[in-house]
Amino acid sequence: MKPLEEILKDVSRCVYCGFCESVCPTLPFGPHRGYGPRGRINLIINSIKEGNLSQEAASSIYSCLLCNACSEVCPMKIDIAGDIREMKALINRGAFGPISIKIRER
Amino acid sequence: MDKNAIKELVSSLGEEKVVTDKEIVRLYSKESSGLSGNAIAVLFPESAEEVSRIASIAYRLEIPIYPQGSSSSLSGNAFPSKMGVIVSFERMNKVKNVSLIDSVAIVEPGVRIEELNFMLEEKGYMFPIDPASQSIATIGGAINNGAGGLRGAKYGTMKDWVNGLEVVIPDENGTRLSLGCLTIKCRHGYDLVRLIIGSEGTLALVVGAALRIVPIPERVVTILSFFNRLEDLLNAFVEIKESGVQPYIAEFMDKKTVELAAKGVDISFSPNGNMLLISIDTTAESSGRVMNWLVDTMKRHNAIEIQSALMQQEAEEKGLFKIRRNLFSAQSRLGKKEGRPSRVFIEDIVVPPSKIPAAVSKLREIGEKYGFIVSLGGHIGDGNIHPSVVYDPEDEEEKKKVYRWFEEVMEVSLELGGSISAEHGIGTMKKGGMKMEFSEKSSEKAIDIMREIKAVFDPKCILNPGKVFDC
Repeated sequence: MKPLEEILKDVSRCVYCGFCESVCPTLPFGPHRGYGPRGRINLIINSIKEGNLSQEAASSIYSCLLCNACSEVCPMKIDIAGDIREMKALINRGAFGPISIKIRER
Repeated sequence: MDKNAIKELVSSLGEEKVVTDKEIVRLYSKESSGLSGNAIAVLFPESAEEVSRIASIAYRLEIPIYPQGSSSSLSGNAFPSKMGVIVSFERMNKVKNVSLIDSVAIVEPGVRIEELNFMLEEKGYMFPIDPASQSIATIGGAINNGAGGLRGAKYGTMKDWVNGLEVVIPDENGTRLSLGCLTIKCRHGYDLVRLIIGSEGTLALVVGAALRIVPIPERVVTILSFFNRLEDLLNAFVEIKESGVQPYIAEFMDKKTVELAAKGVDISFSPNGNMLLISIDTTAESSGRVMNWLVDTMKRHNAIEIQSALMQQEAEEKGLFKIRRNLFSAQSRLGKKEGRPSRVFIEDIVVPPSKIPAAVSKLREIGEKYGFIVSLGGHIGDGNIHPSVVYDPEDEEEKKKVYRWFEEVMEVSLELGGSISAEHGIGTMKKGGMKMEFSEKSSEKAIDIMREIKAVFDPKCILNPGKVFDC
């Protein structure tokens, strides 16, 4: 398990260019940007900084297939899929309280 | 008011097209420039009719509307600068029709440029506007920002490739207008299409476009050369232009930027010096002759390293575009402090191409004055330079320094007869620069005229307010 600070340090390097969205297999089917890598890692930034996570945000993070296509194209070389995997584990362990995951389609 | 507005929008569009979760709304309230705001909801219309209903409700309730593509803008063009609703066009992403005979593609605004080109490529055609962000940049965003790209010198910018627009204006009825034509030739009064292109979503909501398309060139030859002196590089480019050849792509990067961008790039040659990347479209028969001439030209101007390819595929295999494609990555990591948050500030000035050596020299001086490592690259073919720096957004002193650097960079463009923005637009970040430019040209009244035009389209100033100028 990566410590929270390490995850935050990595995802905070996001420059919001969105290049990762072009290769994400879930984004075209999701209801909003949260179902893509740029959205997910920025949800992670906000939730770690503020200590809370909405059901919609958690479900968006959870919808990731961990295929790693995004990390390959990230100009900042952020370990996007790795950080999302860690975050999924944290959600599972109840780090943000009880959250029921509800993945939606567009 | 917010609750009533949401209730009305939900009843008009349906719950699944109105997102109010604060965490999700925040994702749409931020853009690549690093700027962010806040909004009451993100709306996801799926048709022009729904956009029309949104415009009508927003007009009646006087709610600001922020139209949005992929939020990859770099001048503060797309983020909500005050409370309002964001209209995301991501679900209006269909290519409705492609006609090779008419050389036109009818598309919705949420289509990504790269996706359109994947589709056109199968037919041997392309849409030639290719911003570096084309993998995510949408047609609607490119229209509103007046986008350009690597092929700008040959193909121009969005203003040259849109025959017609379908738009919605904010009034009682959310009136839909069909402007321009399907054809290139089209004369019916004032050119409202060209007025809306580059207006940054401040005049109308673009809900459809008729785009010009062209055949993909039969062959594209590419030469990548490195020079010790920037003047030699420019002279090689001048000779190409004076020979009556308009390159398909003409890009440059200065020596320091090449060093950074080449790090970690898997190529079989050693990039060293100022880089000139030239591609020229040819026929199969003439490609060898053109390539020999290009190699001779580069040698005559003291190129120290030359790599060439007779076909696009060969150029890709040899990695001739890799350094240029790594520019954004290099720009984003340049000067970044370990363990600190960082923002990349990518400038977008344009000067006559003949003034590029003077501009580079001045830009280097300014960077040194403020202690920034500046990366310098851009489109030599059209004179568009993208100097960039990385800064810590939480360091107030550094932020102030970046803004001073930014102003001086814009001043350089005006001193050399250029402009403060080539393809990124004004947004919120260059409003001062735009005033500076018109003042320099003794044409301040132009901004008053723009303000009056804005009031005709958008009398309540609810469309992307605070962008380009205040109203």
